[in-house]
Amino acid sequence: MNKSEKCQDPLEVIGRAKGYSREELIMNLHRHAKFTPNLIQEIKKLPEVFLRNSGSPMSKKLIRMMREISLETYRAIQFTRTEINNRGVLFGVVLLKHRVLDLVLKYFHKRWPQCVICLYNEYTGKTGTINEKGTNREVKLPLKKVVEKISKNRPVIPYFEDIQFSGEQIFETLYKTQNIVERENPRYFKSMIPDYCYELPGMRNGVEKRYKSRNKKLNEFL
Amino acid sequence: MPSTLEKIRILGENSKYDICASTASSRTDKYSKLFGDSNSWVGATARAGICHSYTPDGRCMSLFKTLYTNKCIYSCKYCFTRACKHKVSFTPEEYARTFMKLYSMNVVEGIFISSGVCVSADATTEEMLEAVRLLRFKYKFRGYVHFKCLPGVSQSLLREAISLSDRISVNTEASTKEYLAEIAEQKDFKNDIITRQRWLKQIRISHNEKALKVMKDLKQDKKLDFQEKKIKDRREDGYKKFRWDGAPILNSGQTTQFVVGAAESETDLDILKRIDWQYREIDLRRAYFSSFIPIEGTPLANKRAAPLSREHRLYQSDWLLRIYHYKLKDLKEVLTEEGNLPRGDPKIHFARHYFKKHGLVDPNRASYQELIRVPGIGPISAKRIINLRAQKVGFKRREDLKSIGVVLKRAEPYLIINGGNQTTLQNFFKTEDNKILQGGLQ
Repeated sequence: MNKSEKCQDPLEVIGRAKGYSREELIMNLHRHAKFTPNLIQEIKKLPEVFLRNSGSPMSKKLIRMMREISLETYRAIQFTRTEINNRGVLFGVVLLKHRVLDLVLKYFHKRWPQCVICLYNEYTGKTGTINEKGTNREVKLPLKKVVEKISKNRPVIPYFEDIQFSGEQIFETLYKTQNIVERENPRYFKSMIPDYCYELPGMRNGVEKRYKSRNKKLNEFL
Repeated sequence: MPSTLEKIRILGENSKYDICASTASSRTDKYSKLFGDSNSWVGATARAGICHSYTPDGRCMSLFKTLYTNKCIYSCKYCFTRACKHKVSFTPEEYARTFMKLYSMNVVEGIFISSGVCVSADATTEEMLEAVRLLRFKYKFRGYVHFKCLPGVSQSLLREAISLSDRISVNTEASTKEYLAEIAEQKDFKNDIITRQRWLKQIRISHNEKALKVMKDLKQDKKLDFQEKKIKDRREDGYKKFRWDGAPILNSGQTTQFVVGAAESETDLDILKRIDWQYREIDLRRAYFSSFIPIEGTPLANKRAAPLSREHRLYQSDWLLRIYHYKLKDLKEVLTEEGNLPRGDPKIHFARHYFKKHGLVDPNRASYQELIRVPGIGPISAKRIINLRAQKVGFKRREDLKSIGVVLKRAEPYLIINGGNQTTLQNFFKTEDNKILQGGLQ
């Protein structure tokens, strides 16, 4: 493109341009584990065109950081397995490097608005909670203690008490029935599942184990 | 009496050939009170693409997909249910509770409820509806529900199913009544399938018109006018202009499924003609294709399986019809003599054919319709090019196109950039050198 044309803001021109706007960056980058306040100062100085242009090293880095944030949130939403007790407390364990626990909590709150959600972040060792009103809290306590503490003050609600099987059993049974052997596509399957998710309900003892053992870590050879 | 686990094993296995997309409904935000006003609702419809697990065949598994019962009065030649010796049924309560348990584990996003036809279509649908009613009103589930309409079901039950579901599908199975008779002789193509699809369209339109009128009376909102326009507007070719029209009920529309390769002489053209008709006449949201796989114990057990690539080509062509606004006659040009799609991407085949006739395109001058015919340029990149041109931004280098999302590897052979075209082997065939080369080889 011509030099003079480069100054135009592609945001106005394209509508759905590549990259992120300055506002989006300022709003979300603080969630990244490697965020520093200087970064925001830098972003404020740079023109929008520069931030939008995925060709510049600075914006490449910023886009990658933003993607890491959204991918981690998305993966947590997809692969966090939760349990609900008879006091209306929904709990689970997540592994979040970036500061996105509140987004994951919000997702579960939208689904179970009358429950208290507790998610233990293995990375930070903290448990995040969100109550019925949507108020977030983070405490440095193990999940079990937090769930016990919250459950104490809540009335008993018989959630699915008469189901004789554990949820894991039900899901593993359902999962095993859905595979069509003739359509097996290991490459695609492998690309969709993050390593840590092989241990989730439904992912164990199946054909997936084969793919896991193929990728050996360096330590396994030593 | 089989246990719940045993039922899930049998009925899940029986439904594995049914295809459904992951949850996709834009209903939640606008119509959160669709099933009554309560603070104790459970669940929400999610944006498309949230998959909680993947099966080893690579397919996303985001819905509780089982049959309600595998007892069936039909004996379709391709069907798994026919070969299954263990006949079981869920009870509505059992079905609803099991799903809610799975939903609390965050392993599914919604339900896909299908069934064999036990006693009659109405009797089975009534039981299926009871399960959905329990979910909606007892367990207060407001997430995604995909309801499978059984062949020959009555209009009143269909009306109720529409009011409770996000998506309904009627399996067309084959493209014409002759092909359907070949694989499922008891089903009446016109009455059991096409009439039900027409009803679905009519009920959806009339219900949404009424709902919008009520909402307009309650609240004067300009957005509602726009939404009404979205529901009604059509493209030149008769397809709905906006696929996601934001309708209050049956937000995800109606879909259908074809068994590809089960009928002996059914061609891709037959299937494409049928889906083109369904997009125009019954407002089909999308079609699914399932390659025929022979199942032990069925009359077609010895028939050869249809190649998965055939299914893939049909999905690509369907995409061209729906999203790229290609006409059916465009696709006809690339079909083989037998009426099947050739090997390879249909868009590339069509581009070779089209640009040979009309010449290569310059992104600085081409219309949207021409741009979209170039492989590597999709609707979004084409819109970006048009928008940038409107702002007097020209494209003089390959990188200019790359930076806005064009896949140059695919697009280059069909583009003229800054007066030049990528050199390909084809370019040499036209030159004098080529004659010498050919002579040399001889």
